[in-house]
Parts: sequence; C-alpha cells; structure tokens
Amino acid sequence: MAFAAELLISFFLIVSGIFGFVGSFGLLKLSDPMSRMHAPTKATTLGVGGVLIASILHSVFVDHHLSLHELLITLFLFLTAPVSAHFIAKWHIHRHETPASLPDAGEDGVWATHDIEDDEDVAEMPR
Amino acid sequence: MSLFLIVALPFLGAVFPALLIRAGRNACAWSAGVTSALAFVGLMINLPAVLRGEAVTARLDWLPWLGLNANFFLDGLGFLFAALILGIGLLIILYARFYLSREDPMGQFYTYLLLFQGAMVGIVLSDNILLLLVFWELTSLSSFLLIGYWKHLPEGRQGARMALAVTGSGGLAMIAGMLILGHIVGSYDLSVILQNKELIQASPLYLPALILILLGCFTKSAQFPFHFWLPHAMAAPTPVSAYLHSATMVKAGLFLLARMWPVLAGTPEWFYIVATTGLITMLLGAVIALFKDDLKALLAFSTVSHLGLITMLLGFGTEIAAIAAIFHIINHATFKAALFMSAGIIDHETGTRDIKRLGGLRHLMPVTFTIALIASLSMAGLPPLNGFLSKEMMLEETVHTVWGHSHLLVPGLALLAALFSAAYSFRYIAHVFLGPKRSDYPSPPHDPPVGLWLAPAFLVVLVVTIGLNAQAMVGPLVKVAASAVTGGELPYFKLKLWHGFNTALLMSTVATIGGLILLIMHGGLERVWNAMPRPEAKTIFDTVIGTLTQVSRVITDTLHNGAISRYAMIFVVFTLAIASYAYFTGTMELPTRDVQDAPLLPIVAWFCLISATAMLTFLHRNRQLALVLIGVVGLIVSLSFNFLSAPDLAMTQISVEVVSIILLLLCLNFLPKTTPVDSSLTIRLRDAVIAGVAGVGSAALIYAVMIRDFSFPTISEFHLANSYKGGGGTNVVNVILVDFRGFDTFGEIIVLGIAALVIFALTEAVLASNVRAYLLNRKPEWPQSGDAHPLMMVVVTRVMMPIALMVAAYIFFRGHNLPGGGFIAGLVAAIAFVMQYMASGFTWAAERQRIFYHGVIGSGVLIAAATGMGAWFNGLPFLTSAFGYVHLTPLKEFELATAALFDLGVFLAVLGAVMLALESLSRFAWQPGMVTEHAMDINPKRDDPPDPNTDQPASEGEA
Repeated sequence: MAFAAELLISFFLIVSGIFGFVGSFGLLKLSDPMSRMHAPTKATTLGVGGVLIASILHSVFVDHHLSLHELLITLFLFLTAPVSAHFIAKWHIHRHETPASLPDAGEDGVWATHDIEDDEDVAEMPR
Repeated sequence: MSLFLIVALPFLGAVFPALLIRAGRNACAWSAGVTSALAFVGLMINLPAVLRGEAVTARLDWLPWLGLNANFFLDGLGFLFAALILGIGLLIILYARFYLSREDPMGQFYTYLLLFQGAMVGIVLSDNILLLLVFWELTSLSSFLLIGYWKHLPEGRQGARMALAVTGSGGLAMIAGMLILGHIVGSYDLSVILQNKELIQASPLYLPALILILLGCFTKSAQFPFHFWLPHAMAAPTPVSAYLHSATMVKAGLFLLARMWPVLAGTPEWFYIVATTGLITMLLGAVIALFKDDLKALLAFSTVSHLGLITMLLGFGTEIAAIAAIFHIINHATFKAALFMSAGIIDHETGTRDIKRLGGLRHLMPVTFTIALIASLSMAGLPPLNGFLSKEMMLEETVHTVWGHSHLLVPGLALLAALFSAAYSFRYIAHVFLGPKRSDYPSPPHDPPVGLWLAPAFLVVLVVTIGLNAQAMVGPLVKVAASAVTGGELPYFKLKLWHGFNTALLMSTVATIGGLILLIMHGGLERVWNAMPRPEAKTIFDTVIGTLTQVSRVITDTLHNGAISRYAMIFVVFTLAIASYAYFTGTMELPTRDVQDAPLLPIVAWFCLISATAMLTFLHRNRQLALVLIGVVGLIVSLSFNFLSAPDLAMTQISVEVVSIILLLLCLNFLPKTTPVDSSLTIRLRDAVIAGVAGVGSAALIYAVMIRDFSFPTISEFHLANSYKGGGGTNVVNVILVDFRGFDTFGEIIVLGIAALVIFALTEAVLASNVRAYLLNRKPEWPQSGDAHPLMMVVVTRVMMPIALMVAAYIFFRGHNLPGGGFIAGLVAAIAFVMQYMASGFTWAAERQRIFYHGVIGSGVLIAAATGMGAWFNGLPFLTSAFGYVHLTPLKEFELATAALFDLGVFLAVLGAVMLALESLSRFAWQPGMVTEHAMDINPKRDDPPDPNTDQPASEGEA
C-alpha cells in the first residue's frame, strides 16, 4: 500500500515536472508573443496541478489527514491565470497588431482593444 | 481655587469666543470676560493666604524623569503679576469690545487674547523652570498672533515677525541658561533653585547662565539693544498694545529678573550688566520718545524707558531698590495702560495718531482729556500721583549708587532721563489737548461712548488713589511681593507722599522744570534731532535677517539643490566618512559565530535578487520595466522573510509590495515613460564609485555584525517571555505592535492618517488651481487601448472581493496568536477595494462607495484611543491591555482581548489611509468623457441593457 501510494505521488510529481519544464522551454523557444503565451499555461495548469494533487495524496496517505488547502490554490490560479493571459494578449494586440493584421471580428466589426474613438491629437504610436 | 484651574481657565475659555462669535459680538466679549473674571476671582480667593506670607502650591508630577513637573506656586510676586495680568486683561476685554470695528474678526481676537493671558499667568505661577520656559515660548507665539492681528497691514505682519524673531531667539538663549541653572542646582524646581544662592554664585557656570537668562529677559522686556521690536509692535490694535506693553508681555522679562533676584543678584556682574543696561535703556527710550510724533510710538518708547527704569532698580541689588521696582511695576501698569487706551480713543475718534495733526482737543474731548492728563502727569512723576512716589524712590536709590568710582554718573543720567520723561509726558498733553482748536482733523473729534472710556477712567482712579494713599492701597501687596523678590526680611519702609526736603525731591523739581523748558524748546530741538544721523533699527534688523536668510539659502541650495542625486551623494559620502572614521579608530572583536551553510533554495533566490537588482541598474530608464523588476525584488524579499521564519514580516511585505506597485503605476500615468539622461558620464561614474564603495561597505558591515554576537543582551528575550503572560497572545510580533509598543503604534496610525489627509488636501488644492485645466486637457503620451474594463477582469475582481475580505478578516482574527494582525488585514482589505477601482473604473467604484475614507481613518484612530483610555477605568495606564477567555456553548472556548479592539483601530486607519491616498491620486487622472456608459456593468437586471450593436464603451483607461 505504502509503495503504491508513493508510486502514485511520484507519478504526479513527475507529470508536474515535465509540464513545468515544457512550459518554461516553450517560453524560451517559441518566437512570437501570442504563441509564447500558450507555453506557461501548461506550467500553471498541469504543472502546478500535478504538484497540488501530489500534495493532497501525500497528506492523505502519509500524514493521514485530508488537506484541501490545495483546492483553494487551484481556485485562485484558475481565477488569476486567465486574467493575466488576457492582459498580455490585449497588450500585444494594442501595441503590435492593427485591425488589418487580425482575423475578422465578426458582427462587432473590430476587436475590443482596437475599439477606440478617433483622436487626432494622440501622438503616433512608437514601435 | 486650585492654581491649576487659574492657569487652565484662560486656555479653556479661549474656545468660547471663537465659537460664540456666531451668537454676536456681545456674547463673544462676555464669554472672554467671564473667563477672565472667574480666573481673577479664583486668584483673589488666595489673597489672604498670600498676605499672610504663605506660598500656595499645586503639584503634579508630569515627566519626573526629565525634571519637568507641572508645579505651580503662588507667592507675593506671582500674585502681584497674576493680578495685573488678569485685572488689566478684564479692562482690555471691555475696551476691545468697543474698540474693534465690525470688520475685525472679534472671535479670533479674544481667543488669541485669552491664550496669551493663559500663557502669561502660567509664567508667573510656574514653580518649575522647564514649565516656565514652555509658557514663555507660548507668550512669544500668542503675542505674535496678537501683534499680527491686522493681517492685511504689512506693518502688522512685519512687526509681528520682528517681535517673534527677537523674543523667540531670546527665549532660545534663556532655555540654555535655565538648563545650565538646573544643572548647577540639580533640580528644575524654582523653589529649590531659589534656596541655593551660594551654590549658584560659586559655580564657574554662573556667568554663562546669567548672560543667557538675561538675554531672554532683555529681549522680552525690550532692553537696549533689543528695544527696537517694541515700537514696531505698535502696528497691533491698541487694546493689544495696551495689554502687551503695559502689564504683561514686556513685564515678563522683569518678572523673571525679579524671580531670579535672590539667586542671581548681588554680584558685581549682575550690577554692571543689569543696572547699566537699564540705565542706558531708560535714558535712550526717554530721549527718543520726546521726538516721536506718533502717539503710540511716543508711548512705546516711554514704555522702553520705564522698563529700563525698573530693570535698573532690580540691577542695583538692594532691598529698597527691589521695593521701588515692584511699586513702579504696579504704577507703570496703571498709568501706561490708561495712556495707551487714551491714545486708542484719540485715534478712534479723530482718525489720526499724528501729534502734528492734533491739538486743542481739551474742549472737544473733555473726558479723554481728563484721563490723559492725570495719567501723563503720573508718568511725568508729579505729586500727588502714584508715578511721583515710585520715581522719588528711584531717584533716592540712584543717589546711593556708585558706578565704577563715580558717585555722580548714575544719579546724573537718571536725572536726565527723568527730565526727558517729564518733557514727553508734558508734550503728550500740550501738543494734543492744549493749544487752539484746529479745523483740519481727519474726522470731527468727540468723546467716545462710555464703554471705551470706562476702562481707562477706572485705571486713572487707581492712579490718583494709590498716589494719595499708597500705604493703605498697595502697601501690604508691595511688601509681600518685594519680600518674595528679595527672599527674606525687608527693611522697614512706608510708601508715602511726603518724605521731607531731600535730594530726591530736589531732583524731581529739577526734572519737572527742565521738562517744561525742554517742551518749550521742542521745536528747535526737533530740527536738530531730525538733522542728526541716527541708526534705523528696522533697516539694521532687516539687513541682518536678510543676510541670515541669504546664508541659509546658499547652504541649503548647495547641499540640497532639488536633485535628489546631489542630496543622496552628500548623505552617502558623509556616512561613509563617519563609518571609515569609526572603522579606522575603533577595534573589532573576533568573530564569535560560524558562517552557516547555504542551501540551494536561498542561493537561487539570491541569484534572482541580484539579477533583478543588476538589471534594474542598467534598465532603470525604462520606467515600466523598472517597476516590474522592483516587484521581483519585493517578492524575493518577502520570500526571504518567510524563509527566515518571519511570516508576519513576509505577509506585511507582500501586501505593502502590491499596494506600492499600484501606487507607482498610478504615478507613472502622469510621468514620462522613460528617465532622461541628464548628467554627464563623469558624474555618473563618480556616483557609481560612491555607490559601489558604500554598497560594499554596508555588505561588509552586515557580514561583520552577523558573525558576531551582540555586545548587549537583546530585548527579544523579554518579549518572548512576556508575550503570552502579559499580552495574552502567542504571536509576539503582533503583541509587540498592539501591547508592548502600543503607544508607538497609536502614534504611527495617527501619522499615517495625517499623511493620507495631507495627500487628499494637496489633491484638493492642486485640482482647485489652474493645474486642473492642464490635467483635463492632457493627452496621453501613447494611444490608449479600447475596452478599458474587460469583462474577464471585472467578473474576477467582483468574485474575488468577498473572498479577499474574508481573508482579511481571517488574518485579522488570527493575528493575536498566529501570523497576521490589523495592519496586514488592513492592507489586504485595501487591495480588495483597489481591485474594484482598477477593474471597474474609478467612477463605478466611487458611485458605490457609501462611507468616506476620512471617516474610516478617524474612526480607526478614535477606536484605538478609546481602547487605550478604557484602561483608565481600571486605574491602569493608557493602553494597558486586558484579556480573558470566554466559553459560549456551541463554540470552542475563545479569547477576548482589548488588544483586538486596538488592532481594529489599526485595521481601519490603515485601510482608510491607503484608500484615501490611492483615491486622491486617481482623481488627477479623471477626465470628462472617460465615464463609460455601463462600465462593464454585468448586472442583467439593468433597466436599459446595452444594445450589443451600438453600445461601444468609451476608450480611455485609468490606473
């Protein structure tokens, strides 16, 4: 039993390690920001998730009590990670894309980030 | 009545005129009058005891370790002065009610007057020289307010500044002198000091102490060469002049001379400094007074002259001279106050104080004429008025005084001064009231209403009755006061008009006749006087002050020219110099501790910290990037706190980090996005070298400290041992904050609250100025993105809000025993609110704000204060905490501690301060049109749901 539990815990740790590595490697390797955004998502979801599951299992099988703090961490990650990703994407669209360079926005006509009132006084955007 | 109450009454009463002015000018004057009258009655109750020669005391240990105690005592001298201050104060209150015009803010006037009165009473009743110094400075400050009461007049402001500069710097000298005196005796209690004459006069520090104390007295009492401020203080309203310069402010210096007489007088130094200064001042004041055309300037210089007279008498150091000084203090107060008030009446009714434009008023203003006539004849020293008696005594004393080896110098000069004194007194009558009626008065003169002449008339009655029957009127009072001055038995004396034909009477006669001759010759003398070159005190004073300002400006500008790099360089170089001095001259113990092994984890963190700092050094010109790097540094610092077992610090650090990054982002909104290069390569290299040396030095110092034990045992042991026993909490950090050092924390939350309120006030001030137009028309440096309030962010922050608040509550409640507490909880709650501002927009959040942050700060401080005061009801000192355990059936047993209530105060103050500061700064960014119609309002029950095809949120973002 103990060995099986340890095996299970190790499995989740290894999974988390692999995805953590993949996430970091992708962040280095991929070329443009929109693609690079995808890499850390693996690290935050599967990578951190693996550690947290391993931690729950550890507390159940080794310390013999149920610990659910980890679920809260997951909840906060699920809440915050998309917002950060969203802002990075918004920043990229705002600074590096034009309405022409993006796919069609459908019935809205233009993507929200580009939806600004015309204002001639605004300085030229530095690139 | 307790002496505490007598001193406190004017201060307490000072509130009422300021408030009651809304009920009308009469209510305002009455409240001031009743306060003074109560204090006066309270003083008079003590009269029998004082006349029996007893000293009434009231003692309260305030700061016994510093020797500063709130001890008061009332002897004859204190009683005499307190009676003058409160009695003449009452008359001034009556006079001012009718003197001030409708445009003058009367509430302010009486409030200042009562503050001043309280400070003066405090001086004369203090039994502790440190307490006396406090009151002394208070009189300087409150007289500044009174002299500058007519703020619209430049003369008033300049006069007030000059008075403050002169008396204030004299006060500083006196503080030093008093401290030396206290050091010699070993006690700061006057009653103890006064017993130690031999000890003080034998001390080598006697002369410095004497000179410093005399500087204080002479500046306050306008003695030569500090006499020049007094005439300039005449720009004040006449009631102020009458009060300050007849009975109170300028008499404070004389009071102190008299008070210190038993221990300081009797030495040649005392005689030559004090008597000579007094003699010069008396003569100089009298001569200048004769040639002044402004009624109040004439009276001002005559005051200077009479103060010199009293100083000289005190300087003689004999008992009879002290009696004469005390007697003349009473007489001068009565006739000079009456004269000032009469000058005020003339100014009020004729519209001018220029003697050259007056004359012939005796038929037009008969009442004023009578008052002024009697008072000035008393000033001239004519029998049977009270001025005559004390002047006789003065002249008699001068005859027995030897200066150097000369028997004639002092009496001769005193006679000359008396002669001029008689001359200007006669001039006050002759050139103002006598002579033909004129047709060119600025306004038609007539006698004033009774309210205006009642007070001086009362004083004039005193002048006559004291003159006729001195022994019965004031004899006993002069006796107890003079024996308090001399500190022992007095020789037999009797105040009486007729002493027979003696030298003094002869001198008086000469002075009177000479005065009349001088008056007749006045026209010719004046031409000579005006043709003579004379040093103008104001010009000299202005030059001195201007030079001082220039010098300080040069020093400040050199050290601190506005560039923080310059300032930091001087600071760092100076610290380096001191540190190197300490290193090269001191010795270092051998290390007593071993260097610990570094595990991998700290090394990784250390590497991140170093990289972030290094990158910051090179990339700091890009400000946004710098902010990110600062964030990295902050995170690692919090992690290291956690690693080093300081979870409280870690939590505080991380929440402070979040708040400050948000604050910096907010500021970055208004700043250029990059830092320009504005110093040359050489300067930057120089700075790099300095910074490098300082950094390496600090690191070496820290290393040296860490591998050694402390020389002294730390106080941590005490805190660890007593945290649970005394404070009822197991989290020592929190117990230190709310219990051991609760008073510090209390002060800190007040400071925090004040800082936030100042930020708010500055914001208000800036937004009320024309900067607002600039801000409203400001264009962002870079184009703003659309969709300022993205759906995802808005939803998440609203979901997070209750969770974050719950976390704050959790941290708050566990704080006493586990890491947490009010400060961290306050920051977490503030972050929860700030998130709403950031996500949903300032306007959206502001609309939903029900409680103003000012109130949150205030309630926090009040709750903390109330908790602290609660200990008083148990007879314990402020902020003593109590705790106990409560058992409610469905719950486990839990602890209740008053410290938690105090912590609630901290929580509210921190929350309010952070929010008010951030909100104030955000208001700079507000621009019209940035309010989005529905600001990502995701409430589906909204009355007018947005049309997905037409509703386009406006573009500007914030924060």
